[in-house]
Amino acid sequence: MISLLFYLLVGVGLLVFLWLLARRKGAPVEGCGRQFVEARQALRTLQLGLLPENLIERLFDREDFRYAMAASPANIGELFLQERKRISLMWVRRVRCEIRNLMQFHLGYSRLHAKLSLLTEIRLALDFGLLLLACRALRILLYMRGPHGAGAVVVVLTAAAGRVCAASEKSLAFLNPPALESFRRSSAGNGAAI
Amino acid sequence: MGTPAKNVDVLAAADDLRRRTLVDMTQPLERLIYLASTRDYNTGLYYHHGLALRFSEEAACEALADCHREAFDELVGASLEELVHELEAYLESTRVAPSDFIVAWKGLEPYRVAVPVGIDSLSSELVFSNLKVALAILEARLMGRMKPGASRHLSPVQ
Repeated sequence: MISLLFYLLVGVGLLVFLWLLARRKGAPVEGCGRQFVEARQALRTLQLGLLPENLIERLFDREDFRYAMAASPANIGELFLQERKRISLMWVRRVRCEIRNLMQFHLGYSRLHAKLSLLTEIRLALDFGLLLLACRALRILLYMRGPHGAGAVVVVLTAAAGRVCAASEKSLAFLNPPALESFRRSSAGNGAAI
Repeated sequence: MGTPAKNVDVLAAADDLRRRTLVDMTQPLERLIYLASTRDYNTGLYYHHGLALRFSEEAACEALADCHREAFDELVGASLEELVHELEAYLESTRVAPSDFIVAWKGLEPYRVAVPVGIDSLSSELVFSNLKVALAILEARLMGRMKPGASRHLSPVQ
């Protein structure tokens, strides 16, 4: 009798386990439009707002550092360092936040829609890991050495961010049908407040 | 829809604006301040009477917005040294007393309202920060030049 009860319990346990597995079939396709729009927004912010080459060059430029340090009252150099540190910390924080948004999107929804190969997914996962690690390392470096001692990490971070953006662009490409693209290009964007 | 025609108009208006009005403003900072002044604070729309007469109000508005963004992008890419030169050139073009200019710019930070719409906050923060440092450098230089005779202290606007 005891063994029968035991086997019944095991059976019920297995059924519950199967039921839970069946329920956990991933993110629903229905109603996930918001996630796509948010991911698209994160991608745009990264590509147009945070990763443009001229912005990064300016932010971590050594010439500016030398010029400010050579300026006569010493407090100008201090002011410059303080300001650049503040802006570069803000930059890392924003990049990390947008990368996390993209990562959430890829974790939950991307594989339902994009035909990414296993190799691409592994590469993407490694890049996300590398990016989050680089963001953390960069923050520590910025606190310890300032924005002008972090060049190598910035290069690694921007390269990995570029790869992640390219992969995300592919996953979200269906949001830019040609007709919409041409409309967007010829519409009143570009700063006109309409 | 007529969008291609509209686009041609905007491009022509922007070209006209660059050739006639902005040609004498060699510094992006000067252009930025001028173009920001053509924008209505309440609507965010740009207005230029001559340009609107020659083209249309919409085309003029978009052309002004494009040139405004262009000037801002140039400022984002400008080095600190270039920015100090630009500030100095702008100061000369205004014909305001240097001490008054420094006091007003430090106190009122007029460049904060000269940012085009749709610019990422990080780019604008970088420009504000660079202008703040460039202003400090320019102030130190001006003080250095004033030292022998005058001892006028530059205090911020209250």
